[in-house]
Formats: sequence, structure tokens, C-alpha cells
Amino acid sequence: MDNATLDLETRRAILDHLRTTGELPGADQVAQALQLSNPEIEASFRRLHDGHIIVLQENGRDILMVQPFSAVPTPFNVEVAGRTWWGNCIWDAMGIVALFKQDAVIRTACADCNDSMLLTFENNALASGEGVIHFEVPARHWWDNIRFT
Amino acid sequence: MLLFRSEEHVNEWCQLWNQPKGEVFSLEQGWGMAQAWYGQDRRDPAWRRRTAPEAEEVFKNLGLTSPFWKLT
Repeated sequence: MDNATLDLETRRAILDHLRTTGELPGADQVAQALQLSNPEIEASFRRLHDGHIIVLQENGRDILMVQPFSAVPTPFNVEVAGRTWWGNCIWDAMGIVALFKQDAVIRTACADCNDSMLLTFENNALASGEGVIHFEVPARHWWDNIRFT
Repeated sequence: MLLFRSEEHVNEWCQLWNQPKGEVFSLEQGWGMAQAWYGQDRRDPAWRRRTAPEAEEVFKNLGLTSPFWKLT
């Protein structure tokens, strides 16, 4: 299997695992799913990281983000069909809703005062919620520090 | 990209943390942007990361034409 095909299969295995378990997988879980070795999958993870398809944690091994999903808890909790995921930011949280195309609830808080905020989505539309979204970083600088963005 | 109760809270947050103010959007606008950006299933073998001109085209179709959204 060439690297391009392997990376495609890795990407799909990551997202399949995410959809079925609600969690981002480790390299060992992807390796098991694809019946390949851990080093092959770890190398694939690094290529996907370099290509801005995924973001690895500081250890260079574990996944931190597969946009719009976060592997670690964030202030952006998204519930779809009884399962919850974490978005990296409010845009990504809405992106998770857009991906699933199902009724959803985003539980979050105002970044300024920390008051709770609830957004609901029904029939592929925003059903309730108030507030505004602040894009601080200009688009060309998003990947300068994607964790901050 | 953070959520705030109102633009006043954005202003307070920028002042408190000494951060520049970027662009502020309504929830409806944000939802439209999320659908345009993330609506395609990334398990699709045909999915690939957008090039800078392709991303700019998405922004343009959403009415995002200020220098803030320039990539090229």
C-alpha cells in the first residue's frame, strides 16, 4: 500500500472510530483496525499532521484534533443522538452538528463571563440560542498556532 | 473562535486579555459558515484539504471578502 492510500485509510479509520465510540483512536487502535503495524500508522499520523489533516499532541504520537473534533475536553460540548463530542472552538462545534446533519445541542459558556450558553439545532437549522462569534485570528494565520486559533 | 453573550462581552474580553478584535458574526452566520466548511463527510475518499484559492472561494460565497479572510 502506498503512503497516499495508507493515509486515506488511516483518515477513514480515525473518523470511523470517532463516530462509533465518540473518542479519537490511538495509533494502536487504527493499526488493529487496518491490520497494520503501529510504526506504519504512527508514520501515517505524522504525515497527516504535516498535511494539516490532523493535529498531534506535543508528544508527536497521540491525536489532539481532527477538525472539527477535539480528543480532549474543551468548553464546546456537542450532543448528537445521545452521544457527546468536543469541538475545538465554537465554529468546530457547529461543524460537528453540520457533519452529522441531525438535531443537536451545544453546551458551552461565554468566553468573557463564563455564563452558561446553550445552542440547539433542529431540522438542520439553528433552533435556539443567543450570542455572537468572535474570529480573532485572520484566516492566513490560523495554522501559525492552530491550538490558539 | 469563541462564543460570547454579546459584542460588549467581546470588547471586554479583548481589553482584559489585551487581544486584537477580529471579526464578529451572528450565530446564524456562524452556522452557515460551519455548514459550508464542514458539511462534506471527510470519510469520503474524494475529500481533500482545500487549497488556499478554494478556501477563499468558500469565504467569498459566504460574503467574507475583507482582508481578514485573504489567504493568497
